[in-house]
Amino acid sequence: MTDTNRIPPVITAMSDASDPYVAASELAQALCHPELEGVIFFCSAEYDLEHLAAALNQSFANTCLVGCTTAGEITPRGYDRGTIVGLGFHRDSFTMEASLIADLDQFSLPEAQAQLDQLIRALRQRTTDSLAGRCFAMTLLDGLSSQEELVLVALDSALGSIPHFGGSAGDDIQLAGTHVFYQGAFHNEAAVLTLMHTVLDFEVFSTHHMQSLATKLVVTQADSDKRQVIELNAEPAAQVYARMLGIEPEELNPKVFALHPLAVKLGQEYYVRSIQKVNEDMSLTFYCAVGNGMVLTAMQPQPILPDLERRFAHIEARIGEPMITLGCDCFLRRLETEHLGSLDEASAFFREHRVIGFNTYGEHFDGVHINQTFTGVVIGKETVR
Amino acid sequence: MSDLTSTNLSSYGTLLAENQRLKKINAALIERVEAGSAFNAAPYAAFEHSASLAEQVRERTEALSVAMGELRQTNQALKQANLSRTKFLAAVSHDLLQPLNAARLFTGALLEQPLQGELKHLSESIHRSLQDVDSLLGTLVDISRLDAGVINPDISIFPISDLLDNLAAEFTQICDMEQRHFRYQSSSRVVSTDLVLLARILRNFLTNAVRYTTPSSRIVLGCRRRPNSLEIQVLDSGIGIADDQLEHIFEEFRRIQPESGLHDRGLGLGLAIVDKIAGMLGHQVRVMSIKGKGSLFSVTIPLAEPQLNTFPALQTESSDQQLLQNSEVWVLDNDPAICIAMVSLLTSWGCKVKTFEKSARLSKELACYPQGPDLLIADYHLDEHESGIEAIQRLRGEYAFQSAVLMITANHTSSLRQRVRSLGYRMLNKPVKPLKLKVTIAHLLRQVT
Repeated sequence: MTDTNRIPPVITAMSDASDPYVAASELAQALCHPELEGVIFFCSAEYDLEHLAAALNQSFANTCLVGCTTAGEITPRGYDRGTIVGLGFHRDSFTMEASLIADLDQFSLPEAQAQLDQLIRALRQRTTDSLAGRCFAMTLLDGLSSQEELVLVALDSALGSIPHFGGSAGDDIQLAGTHVFYQGAFHNEAAVLTLMHTVLDFEVFSTHHMQSLATKLVVTQADSDKRQVIELNAEPAAQVYARMLGIEPEELNPKVFALHPLAVKLGQEYYVRSIQKVNEDMSLTFYCAVGNGMVLTAMQPQPILPDLERRFAHIEARIGEPMITLGCDCFLRRLETEHLGSLDEASAFFREHRVIGFNTYGEHFDGVHINQTFTGVVIGKETVR
Repeated sequence: MSDLTSTNLSSYGTLLAENQRLKKINAALIERVEAGSAFNAAPYAAFEHSASLAEQVRERTEALSVAMGELRQTNQALKQANLSRTKFLAAVSHDLLQPLNAARLFTGALLEQPLQGELKHLSESIHRSLQDVDSLLGTLVDISRLDAGVINPDISIFPISDLLDNLAAEFTQICDMEQRHFRYQSSSRVVSTDLVLLARILRNFLTNAVRYTTPSSRIVLGCRRRPNSLEIQVLDSGIGIADDQLEHIFEEFRRIQPESGLHDRGLGLGLAIVDKIAGMLGHQVRVMSIKGKGSLFSVTIPLAEPQLNTFPALQTESSDQQLLQNSEVWVLDNDPAICIAMVSLLTSWGCKVKTFEKSARLSKELACYPQGPDLLIADYHLDEHESGIEAIQRLRGEYAFQSAVLMITANHTSSLRQRVRSLGYRMLNKPVKPLKLKVTIAHLLRQVT
């Protein structure tokens, strides 16, 4: 006999078992209770996804379950790898509806509108509470689909004033295949849109730790379909980028990309455009959309944790101690932290602020696809006034 | 020489390449600028589009939250200012009420004396001036109490004639003095409302009617039957209100620019009070006016079931003066000035008066005359240990006297009013107006006899 009243609004659980059936059943054991509204999970791309899907279906039966593969997990232990981590939401505090965007390249505004309307209708049927100001949307998207911008711009218009965040699924920098999970199966070239209603106070936010430098590079040739920058300042892109850093193109790797990001300035904001890889032809592939005439500014990362601390302090001043933070943390930030030898410090911070999440191939914030940020939602312990 | 040429040539080649590069950069930038951030199918354009949208939303949200913050602060400051104003008014009014009460009773007594010529004129002027101070102060107290939200309606069921008859009597006298023709149509309907608050609305209507009419104008107080309700109307053939002013007359400190020759002693708070009270009681207030012809002010109140009529109509119609003549009235008040003023005033109406500054003295008197007086007038704020009510209740326990009881108080709470009524007493608020005192005493004596 469990006393369902004493179950907290959000339960977190993880398993580092490599066997998908063991992992799924461990997760289910910790998360399942009669008042479970739904589960969001993040899993290592190391799992055999077909078996993991079968195992999850077996363990969670009819529970609403959404998730994606990662480039590293943030579990109750902090930065983690090779695990599956989940958040179970209590029916008393949360109502959750999700849908699949199956054809990313066909996704249009009318479709976004129709899908969102359906989610809102479903929420309305299941909660008597007002939806205004009490909903947020989360997108999990195939991180190698190259479709974030077009999908998000359509969604953004449909979402209106509903706060939105999300992340692009990763695969431990294998760049081979990233997946999202919806209704019992993993999908690629797809996205899961989750609409969550909660009576608890929350804040959706995004933060980065970059400062701009003086150097500007102009994209003079790009392949926008492949997200490739072929030339910067009318020279092979990788050469220009390496020369700027005083290294050889052969020395370029994800760690260099993490420590020497490039950004686009729009208005007063800098948006980091993260480099994914160097190609044979000295072109650079990005994690986000690129185009001719785009002006890139060299950026200098600042210490990550002080920035996060400031941001969390600000949010917690408003909504109080967090119950949980669902975080989409760019995998390049993790690389940077790793390189600086402060993984343990970061893990301690995540534990302290109850952060659960994953390392992404890109984050989503209010309809914008961004890179090298920490983006997510802080859910407070207090109900909204 | 050949060195120089080759250097020149090579730097020429570098410049050419550089020029080529700059041209390409230029072309790319032109392409981007010309594409603008217009939303089209290109993914990068989509990113720019949503980023600039998000930025705009952020900027506006920020501006909005700054503006909201400022508004909140202003609002807080205004609330604070309003609260201190209310507190100040309440404190000042209360401190002024006490001496004013005495002054009014004194002039009341003075006017009952056979005065001649200049002396009579002077004392009448003092009386009028005090009347003005009294009504202004009353208005200030009312508005401050309404603003402070300390007035709670006390709904009872009563025949409307109970209230209207008294008002009519009061304004018949006033209109006589001010040379207005006053007409009154009574009604036998029984209504359900707060008698005191309704009286305040109607008194405001009537006072305005006197204020905004010229001598020999007509003023009518009457009722119209409406579905499940009764509309009490005050009509006048006065100066009227222009259409463009009608919507403003319920605002505080708003007065219609008086025509020359009309004396105006109001603060412009009367209709603001009416508006607040009517809002609190849920009664509809209506105004119609034609500039130069006159005005109609009315308030519509719900009818009560007639069988709930708890106040039987008055039987005898003997005049107030007859009733007062030779009646035995005792006054219990710890303020000697009030006692002296009461003696002067009540004696001039023909009452036989005894005053007591302490309840112990009253107790001794009752030991000699256990049947008590016809009427006992007591100050509610007797001393720190015992209120007027407590003193009388205690004495009633000791001596079974049947006197009518009238409480005088500066405490305007409805809870006190309810308590007084539940004991079968009457209550008058300070400052006591002689005319109202006389009418009330007559009413009480009529019940005793």
